[in-house]
Amino acid sequence: MANVIVNRVKEFLKRYPPFSFLSEDSLEQVAKEVEVRYFSENELLFEQGDPAQQYFFVLKEGSVLLTEKKDGQEEIVEVCDEGDVFGVLALLGKRPYLLNARVKEESLVYAIPVAVFEKILHENSRVGLYFAAGFASGQVVVRTDLSQSQKARTTFKEISRDSGLLIFTGQSDLNYSSDVLTCPQHTLIRDAVAAMAEKGVGSIVIVNEKDHPLGIITDKDLRNRLIARNKSYDTPVEELMTTPVITKRKDAAFSELYLTMIKNRLHHLIFTEDGSSDSPITGILSDHDILLSQGNSPAVLINALMNTWEIHEMAKIRDRAEKLLAYYLENEVSIEFVASIISEINDIIIRRAVEMAKKKHDPDFPEISKVKFCFLSLGSEGREEQLLRTDLDNAIVFENVPLSKVEETKEYMLLIAQQVIEILLACGFKPCPADIMANNPKYCQPLSTWKAMFSDWIHSPNQQALMNATIFFDYRAIIGNKVLAEELTEHIYNEIAGKSIFLNFLAKNALLNPPPLGFFRNFIVEKSGEQKDKFDIKLRAMMPLADIARLLVLSHRVVGINNTFKRFEKLADLEPNYRELMLEAGKAYEILMRMRAIEGLNSGSSGRYIQPEKLGKLQRQLLKNAFAPIDELQKIIQVRFQLGYFRN
Amino acid sequence: MNWLSRIFGKELPKTAFVETYESLFEKPIPPMRPISQLTFVVLDTETTGLDPKKDFIISFGAIKLRSYVLKIDTAQEIYLKTPVKNKEAIQVHEIIDPIEGLTIKDFAKQFLDYIGRDIIVGHHIGFDLLMLEKVLKPFGLKKLLNPVLDTQYLAMRLEKGPHYDPSMGKPGEYSLDNLCERYGIELDDRHTAAGDAFLTGQLLLKLLKMAEKKGIKDFGTLMR
Repeated sequence: MANVIVNRVKEFLKRYPPFSFLSEDSLEQVAKEVEVRYFSENELLFEQGDPAQQYFFVLKEGSVLLTEKKDGQEEIVEVCDEGDVFGVLALLGKRPYLLNARVKEESLVYAIPVAVFEKILHENSRVGLYFAAGFASGQVVVRTDLSQSQKARTTFKEISRDSGLLIFTGQSDLNYSSDVLTCPQHTLIRDAVAAMAEKGVGSIVIVNEKDHPLGIITDKDLRNRLIARNKSYDTPVEELMTTPVITKRKDAAFSELYLTMIKNRLHHLIFTEDGSSDSPITGILSDHDILLSQGNSPAVLINALMNTWEIHEMAKIRDRAEKLLAYYLENEVSIEFVASIISEINDIIIRRAVEMAKKKHDPDFPEISKVKFCFLSLGSEGREEQLLRTDLDNAIVFENVPLSKVEETKEYMLLIAQQVIEILLACGFKPCPADIMANNPKYCQPLSTWKAMFSDWIHSPNQQALMNATIFFDYRAIIGNKVLAEELTEHIYNEIAGKSIFLNFLAKNALLNPPPLGFFRNFIVEKSGEQKDKFDIKLRAMMPLADIARLLVLSHRVVGINNTFKRFEKLADLEPNYRELMLEAGKAYEILMRMRAIEGLNSGSSGRYIQPEKLGKLQRQLLKNAFAPIDELQKIIQVRFQLGYFRN
Repeated sequence: MNWLSRIFGKELPKTAFVETYESLFEKPIPPMRPISQLTFVVLDTETTGLDPKKDFIISFGAIKLRSYVLKIDTAQEIYLKTPVKNKEAIQVHEIIDPIEGLTIKDFAKQFLDYIGRDIIVGHHIGFDLLMLEKVLKPFGLKKLLNPVLDTQYLAMRLEKGPHYDPSMGKPGEYSLDNLCERYGIELDDRHTAAGDAFLTGQLLLKLLKMAEKKGIKDFGTLMR
C-alpha cells in the first residue's frame, strides 16, 4: 500500500544525489528505513574520535557545521546545507569520525542505516563512484562531479592503512619501564620522595636486600596517607606502603596482565623474574602505559566510566564497549577474557547506577538509607556470561530490620531499584520479560525472606518454581554489603546438604531440553511463528549446559564458581573419570557463547536464534560438535540421579 | 447493520485481542523513566464528519517515535471500510472508494496490536480518541488505557506555561497549521491521516527537545 509518509521521505531524497541515481524501488527501500531526528542548536551529531555509527546523515532542514578540534580550538571545515550528505567517510572506512558534526541552527536530519545502503552501493556503480568522489572532496559528499574519483583512490589507500579501532594490539606495543625506582625498607619517606622527585616518577617500590618487592608507594599514597594524616616526613616507608604487591612475569600474556590490573584496580603492576613476589624485580607497568598503547581499550572505557555521572555518557561508553566486543570476537580473543572484561564494564555501570540512585533518594530517607543491602545480578550476568545487553535479571537483598520498619525500608529499596533499572535501560539493557528484577517487590526482600524463599524451593521443589529458581542460583553480589550475599549462600548450601530430592528435581530440569540433534543429525529448528526455521541456541544448547554445570557443581557443594565454563573446569578436577568430557563441555559452552554474540552483533538482536543454513561449513560442524557433550552428560545425569524412577 | 446494533447493546463480551491489550497495563510506566526510553505513537484519523455519534473513521495514519527519533519503518496508513459515505467529507479528503479497506474488526485488532502500551500522541487528540474508542467498543473495550499526550496542549504549556487559558488567545493560534509554520515544518499532504500524523510527529520531536531544555526529562514531569 502506498504510504504517504514513505513517499514524502522519498520525494525529498530524490531531489539530491546520490539518491537521484536510484531506481524507484531502491529509493523506496531506503526511504522506509530512514529515521528522522531533530537537533537543537549546538548539539553534536557525532564527535571526533567516536566510532562510526550505523547511519549516515542527510540534512533535511537547518544547518550543520563540520568542525575539527585543533589545539583546543574548534575550526569549521565545512558547512552543510539542505540535502547534503555527511558522516559517510567514517562509515565506509569503518573508522572513528575525524570531525565533529555540530548543529548551527536547529535541524531535522534523516539518518539512513548503512545496512540498506550498502547493498545498493554494490549494485549501483554510479552511487559507489559518487561516494568515492566524496572521499576526495572531504567530509561532505555533495555538489561534486565524478571527475574527482581519481583523487579518491589515493585517499582510500591512506584509509586502509589506518587500523580503525585501535584496541587490542600485541604485547610488543606495550611500553613498560624496566628501570624501576626502588629503595630498601627502613628508608625514611623524605628520602624516598626526594628520589622520586629527582627521577621524575610517580611511584617507588620498596625492596628487600634480595631486590624482591615488598610494597609500593605512589603519589596518591603521599597525598592520602602522609600529608592528609599529617604524618612526619621521617616516617619509615614501610608504614605507608601498599603491601603485598601484585606481581607478574613481564612476558605473561598481555590479556592476563591487563585483566589483573583491571580486576584489582591497579595503577601499577610489578614485573619480577619468575612472576612471584619472591624474586627480583625486573620492571613496572603503569596504567598510563596501557592507556598510551591502547586507543580504545577496556582500560580507557573503564576509566571513562569511572569519571562520569552522566547517564547519556555512560550509555555512549557502553555502546563503545560493544564495538570492542565485536573486535575481540573477530580476532578470536579468548572468551574467558572477553567475558571478564564485559562483565567488569557491566558491573561498573550497575555500581554507578546504585550510587546515583542513593544520591538521589537518600536525603528523603535519612534513617532507612543506612540499612545495609546488596545488589545481586542473576542469570547470565550473575554467571559473568552476558556479552550482549540482553535481559536484565537482578535482585536486592537487605538486612533484617524490625517489623515496624519493613514497609518503609522496602519502599526505599524499590525506589533505588527502579532508578537503577531506568539507568540500565538507558544504557541499552532490556527489561526481563518474566519481571525478575530488583524493582519487583517479590525480588526485593530482607535476608530472612530470601532464606525462606530458597528453603522453600529446596524443600518442596516443583517444576515451574525450579525453572525460575535456576536463575537465582547463579546470583553474584555486585555492590553493597556482600556479607549478606555470603550469608545467603551459606544458608543455601546448608539446606541442600542431604536433600537429594531437590537435586533430583534440578536434574530433571537439566534434562528438559534434549540434545538438539534430530534423527538424521540435523538441527532441530523452530517449527512455527516468527522464528520459524531458526535454531534456538539459548534454549537448545546453552541452557542445557548451564543447567548441567549448575547441578553438578551444587551436588559437589562447590561455592563461588558461577561461570559455566569455569564450573566445567572445576568439575574436570572433581570427576577425573569424566575429565575429558567436562573439559569438552566447557569448551562447547565457550563456542556457543561466541556464536551467539556474533549472531547478535550481526543482526542487532539477542543472537538467540541462528539460521543454520546461513552458517559456514566449519561453523556448522563446530556447532554440531558442541552438542555431543550435552548428550553424554544428560545420560550420566539420568543414571546418577536415578531419574528412571523419578519420571512423572 | 449487525455491528451497529452491537454498539448500543449493554455488556459486550471481550475478544481475545482486547484481553491481550488490557493485560499490557498491569504495571504502570514508572514516573522516573527518561523520555529517551519512552515510545510514542503519533496518530491521526480522517473521518466522515465531526460528530462521534454519527460519523466514522475513513483512514488512520501513525508513526512511532522513540529516543527522540521518528522511525519511518513504523509508519502506518490504513483505510477502512465504512458503512456510511458522507459527501462533504469525501470532498475534503478525496477518498471515494478505498481500495484496500480493512474491516472494522481487522482494523481494531491491528490497531491495538500496533499501539501496545505506547504513549498515544495527537494534535487535538480528544476527538480521535472518541472515534477510535467507538471502533473498539463492539469488541469489548470501553476505554483506551494508554497514557495520552496532546501536542496542542504541550505546545501551549511550553510556550505559555501550565496555567494558560486557551480561550484567551487568538483563535487558531495552536492549530496544527499554525504550529507547523511557527516551528518551521514544511506543510504538505495536509488532510491525509498519515500526512498529518507525520507533521504531528515532527512537531512532537521539536516540542520534546524544547521540553528537555525546560527540565521536562521524564515520564512523570511530561504527563503532569
